Amino acid sequence: MPGGEVRLVVRHVTRKATGWLLMIVVATNVTYLLASFFLDPRSNFKDLRPVRSEAQIDRALAPYNLDPRVPLVDRWWDWLTSVVLHFDWGRSPTGVSVNGEIGYRSLVSAELVVLSLVFSVLAGVALGVYTASRQYGWSDRVSQAVSVVVFNVPTSVAALAVVFVAIWLNQHAGLHFLYVAGENAPGVQGLLPTVGDRLLHLILPTLTLTLMGYVGYHLTQRSLLLDTINADFVRTAQATGLTRSQAIRRHALRTALIPTATSVAFSVPAVFTGAIVTETIFGWSGMGSYFIQTISKNDVHGTVATAAFAAALTAIGAILADVATVFLDPRVRVS
Amino acid sequence: MTADMTADASYGAASDRTPQPSRSVRTAGRQHDVARFYVRRFVRNRLAVAGAVIFLLLVVFSATGDAFTSYAYSDTDFAALTQPPSAVHWFGTNQGGNDIYASAVHGLRRSLTIAVSVSVLTLAVAAVVGSSAAYFGGRAEKATLAVIHFLLVVPSFLILALVSNRLAGDWRVLIVVLTVFGWMSTARIIWSVSTSLRERDFVAAAEFMGVSPLRIVVRHIIPNLGSLLIVNLTLGVVTTVLSETALSFIGFGVQTPDVSLGTMLADGASTITSAPWLFAFPAGLVVLLTVSMALIGDGLRDALDPLSSTGAGGRR
Amino acid sequence: MSPGAALSAETHAKETAAPVLSVRDLRISFPSEAGTVEAVRGISFDLLPGRTLGIVGESGSGKSATAMGIMGLLPPSATAGGSVLLGGRDLVGMDDRALSRVRGRSIGMVFQDPLSSLTPIFSVGRLLSDALRVHQDLTRQAAWERAVELLDLVGIPAPRERAGAFPHEFSGGMRQRVVIAMAIANRPSVLVADEPTTALDVTVQAQILDVLRLAQRETGAGLVLITHDLGVVAGHADDVAVMYAGRFVERAGVDELFHRPTMPYTARLLAAVPTVDGGTPRPLVPIGGEPPVLVDLPAGCPFAARCAVAVDACADTEPELRSVPGHGEVACLRAEAVAEGLLDPSGPDAPDAPAPAPAPAPGTGPTRVGEVVLRVEDLVKTFPVTKGGLLKRRVGTVHAVNGVGFELRAGETLGLVGESGSGKTTTLLEILRLSRPEGGRIEIAGVDVGAQDAAERVRGLRRDVQIVMQDPLGALDPRLTVRRLLAEPLQAVGQDRTSILGRVEELLALVGLDSAVGDRFPAALSGGQRQRVAIARALATEPKLLALDEPLSALDVSVQAGVINLLARLKRELSLAYLVVSHDLGVVRHVSDRVAVMYLGRIVESGTTESVFSDPRHPYTRALLSAIPLPDPRRERTRERVVLEGEQPSATRPPTGCVFVDRCPLYRVADDGTRRRCLTHRPEQVRVTERPDHQYACHLA
Repeated sequence: MPGGEVRLVVRHVTRKATGWLLMIVVATNVTYLLASFFLDPRSNFKDLRPVRSEAQIDRALAPYNLDPRVPLVDRWWDWLTSVVLHFDWGRSPTGVSVNGEIGYRSLVSAELVVLSLVFSVLAGVALGVYTASRQYGWSDRVSQAVSVVVFNVPTSVAALAVVFVAIWLNQHAGLHFLYVAGENAPGVQGLLPTVGDRLLHLILPTLTLTLMGYVGYHLTQRSLLLDTINADFVRTAQATGLTRSQAIRRHALRTALIPTATSVAFSVPAVFTGAIVTETIFGWSGMGSYFIQTISKNDVHGTVATAAFAAALTAIGAILADVATVFLDPRVRVS
Repeated sequence: MTADMTADASYGAASDRTPQPSRSVRTAGRQHDVARFYVRRFVRNRLAVAGAVIFLLLVVFSATGDAFTSYAYSDTDFAALTQPPSAVHWFGTNQGGNDIYASAVHGLRRSLTIAVSVSVLTLAVAAVVGSSAAYFGGRAEKATLAVIHFLLVVPSFLILALVSNRLAGDWRVLIVVLTVFGWMSTARIIWSVSTSLRERDFVAAAEFMGVSPLRIVVRHIIPNLGSLLIVNLTLGVVTTVLSETALSFIGFGVQTPDVSLGTMLADGASTITSAPWLFAFPAGLVVLLTVSMALIGDGLRDALDPLSSTGAGGRR
Repeated sequence: MSPGAALSAETHAKETAAPVLSVRDLRISFPSEAGTVEAVRGISFDLLPGRTLGIVGESGSGKSATAMGIMGLLPPSATAGGSVLLGGRDLVGMDDRALSRVRGRSIGMVFQDPLSSLTPIFSVGRLLSDALRVHQDLTRQAAWERAVELLDLVGIPAPRERAGAFPHEFSGGMRQRVVIAMAIANRPSVLVADEPTTALDVTVQAQILDVLRLAQRETGAGLVLITHDLGVVAGHADDVAVMYAGRFVERAGVDELFHRPTMPYTARLLAAVPTVDGGTPRPLVPIGGEPPVLVDLPAGCPFAARCAVAVDACADTEPELRSVPGHGEVACLRAEAVAEGLLDPSGPDAPDAPAPAPAPAPGTGPTRVGEVVLRVEDLVKTFPVTKGGLLKRRVGTVHAVNGVGFELRAGETLGLVGESGSGKTTTLLEILRLSRPEGGRIEIAGVDVGAQDAAERVRGLRRDVQIVMQDPLGALDPRLTVRRLLAEPLQAVGQDRTSILGRVEELLALVGLDSAVGDRFPAALSGGQRQRVAIARALATEPKLLALDEPLSALDVSVQAGVINLLARLKRELSLAYLVVSHDLGVVRHVSDRVAVMYLGRIVESGTTESVFSDPRHPYTRALLSAIPLPDPRRERTRERVVLEGEQPSATRPPTGCVFVDRCPLYRVADDGTRRRCLTHRPEQVRVTERPDHQYACHLA
């Protein structure tokens, strides 16, 4: 790409990013109001013993800018200034820093989701390509049927099925490395054992997420490729002396991969937002379980920060997808 | 978050293929033959027929299953806590002594009601918003798209959880909440298809003939959206079941003492090895429900879209 | 090629050179919902090096399946039988790997649609060097060099710079040159061209046919030229095979075939082609009926049902292709009688002939010219141009219509001709919009559509102006029956139910359709029937002005003639005014009383059809007319040609002077003073002496 074009892309991205930023700001503030309305931090203290008075509870919440006696507008303003000036997203009703939690948990989620994303894309695209070139063959029909079923199974059912099988294997085949809960085992020492231990804990949740994730890539890649496989230019390529499979590989596939690459670019940032149901079932404390925790523990600031984080990553994904299209597809480049 | 992230982008691409009659429609010349023609195309797809049969059986089961047991889902049998399936309790009982068969019938009914109502409501909202945006064009269109765009940026699953956590327990509120946060991607698909329909020659021809805009929408645009709407109705059921089970599973959807398939899954999760029946029966029902609906949707799309050859193309 | 060489070429050449390609009893069939489609039902021919076999047929005749069968590019579901011998090997039944060693090296192919036949994500240099490296052991560098040479050979300007450009950056004609370069990259001995110019404008078609001829000369290859256009075949083939219902029905040297077509189908097809040459156009004789569907063909000659000279025996057995002295080979029981001139293949009274009283052929002059129905003055329409799919930005303005003016009277047909991008369709749509134009004035039936105070009367004009669109399948809502489609415009003007029902039946009868057609859906109709429905629909409200946008381009030649005659009859009976937009000068000549030739948003020449076609003045009109291939090999070889270079530029920056200046052959030879005038002064319309209606805009002509 010549320099002028890069400048155009940069300008385009900047303009888009500004629009996104505006939307994120609005979305975040709306979420703040909704969360303040729907979540009641005081209820966290209701069941504590010894029983505390209303005033005691409010006083306990005051340092975290959650005191319900302070007008909502003032609380909102304080929260906003601290976010804008110090990038401090506040604290939970028990005083835990939201910034710290998100920083740690997003990495946990990433650890969980990155591998499965890679596997999903590889498996899904490979399967899509394999079956598209054998349309209506038995391998196509079988994998299509499997994918349609898997695609429509709720994550909870699939994940628990994986857990069930793993436990059965552990009991009957004497395996002991399929861990059904947690990110790591307590008390493991040393670098290599720690890495090994974490990897073993990754097996089942990664398997689940891959299972849930590959299907979309399989079905879309298959239909994308089927749409291009009969394109005139594939026939032209064959006419120059390529076999059908060479022509499909070199011409149809390259073209059909562009939308997939775009959608992968879109979903890469989303790895940090984690997988809610899977994290819950496998007991990982990533962003997904943080999401549940903040809502059920009436953590206004945590909830808002989670929303802002997710919205920001969506925006980054969309911009990445745009840029990917520009770089991969000569047709949308400005000439 | 990831729960509803993948739904719209690629889906739109599949439905961009504007329906164009092919040679195969020639066999159906006359008007009254056409319904029969579509039925024949649907019936030829054996998987779709299987889906339809399964779905009908599920509906019948949820409506009449009560009659075959003397227990209600809320009854507790303290003589039988956590019992495996038996002659008395066909699907067994849970830790509180609730009959799983009765719960499953009730949960299925609850989930079905929610899914069908949400699907119908979202489709209605999406159709009105999407097609009028395309039809009115100009500023109204831009504003509508901006709202849709905005709602897609807002992590709707989070807001859904936030709102339903506080208000739910009541399944009717859940229906409202799921509708309010669920119509956008469908509206965008309908918008994009209507826009391309608006560009079609037959719409231009009707305009040149002085046919009124309203009549063009009613006579030409909506009938040509027909198959898209029907297919989306069935797929909307699947999407809603998936959302409802996910929400209920993490505790933000239907809540005790009410029972849905999602809450049953959540209850069964912790005892998957010690009492697998608590999980197995609701899981089986959910899977039958979603898969049968997906098969019906695929079959309908193939039958109604003359361009598609049976079985081709991914669902989303 | 001298005329003599073509005569009896077949017999002579057979003795002197070995064929590079021999096809024997090729059969191709496809499965379909209705049953097995026998697309090709046993064809045989030999192709000699350096010679051209033209295969002519209408859509569905099996000619494209033949091309794919020869190339080994049939879809996997197809079954092929017989043999295709190339260099001593039979390509039928060869596996894909073995075929791939033949394709591109011994046999190259040029496809129909250059817009979709090049991979969009590779540069043309890359596509060409890949094509070279498949068969030759070249380094990347050497292949690129060779690719640049090939681009130069096929006439891509600045080939070294353009080699790095992507297909979408080329025009259609340039892309087709690239496709030809790819086909000849490895110097194959056989070239197959499947409708190589159908998607192109006529002046570009002439260039591409020249490039094809050059490519053939360079490689010495035999060429199989497949087309529906009898004119293209007449000018470029040595031998011609006419295909009908999956078989050759006549095969002969090009001169014999056009001089005395012997198979009735060939003769009727030639009689149905609208042409641009000669004096007064002869009335077209449609064949009637439609080609058969190739599923479960009944016994007998497949053309018998449409044939005017069929005898009982024709329905019993299908005649074999057999040699007829002096006329190549013909598959007709009555070939000898036709060949000896004893039998007129059009028959004593052709079925579906035009209305009893053979009206004066359309185009010979206005029949009954009435009041002015449409007056357009100085019409202007511009569009914004945005560039880039994603990074959209406005880069300029297209001056699609730039000061167009004409008049149209009741009972008269005005043909608006021009190549794609000339602004003819935009002009038509602007008129139909019935609202104030961007610039200029439109007056319909005396009402100025832009006038502030005329809103009520303009609304009333809706029923006076109607349109027939190019593609009847797209213009008819697939979900409505014919009856409801016909009722729609009547409902729109507020007629009551009973009168609508009666009117619909009338309309069906008016366009010659059976009442039973009314219950059908558009998809269940044939192309000709659909266009009749579209015409009936446009006529529903008894309009005064009918706008026809390429009304025949979606139809086969044998069906076209019937619609042309229908339009002529309707105009006479209803004294309509037609505004016909078309790129096909042959069609325009047959339907129009007057023509206006458009180029880059302006009318460059206009006048009565007869005057403009017999004595064109503007260099563009001349070039346009001479670029149209005539279905007559002798005249095609001898006539003087003006081949234009380049293609019509985009109308983003219309020149300040003459719009035609950068392609004009007269400008190129003019002196400096005149040149300056062409560049800076827009030429005024000049009237031809003694024919005041005929005018043109040129400084030089």
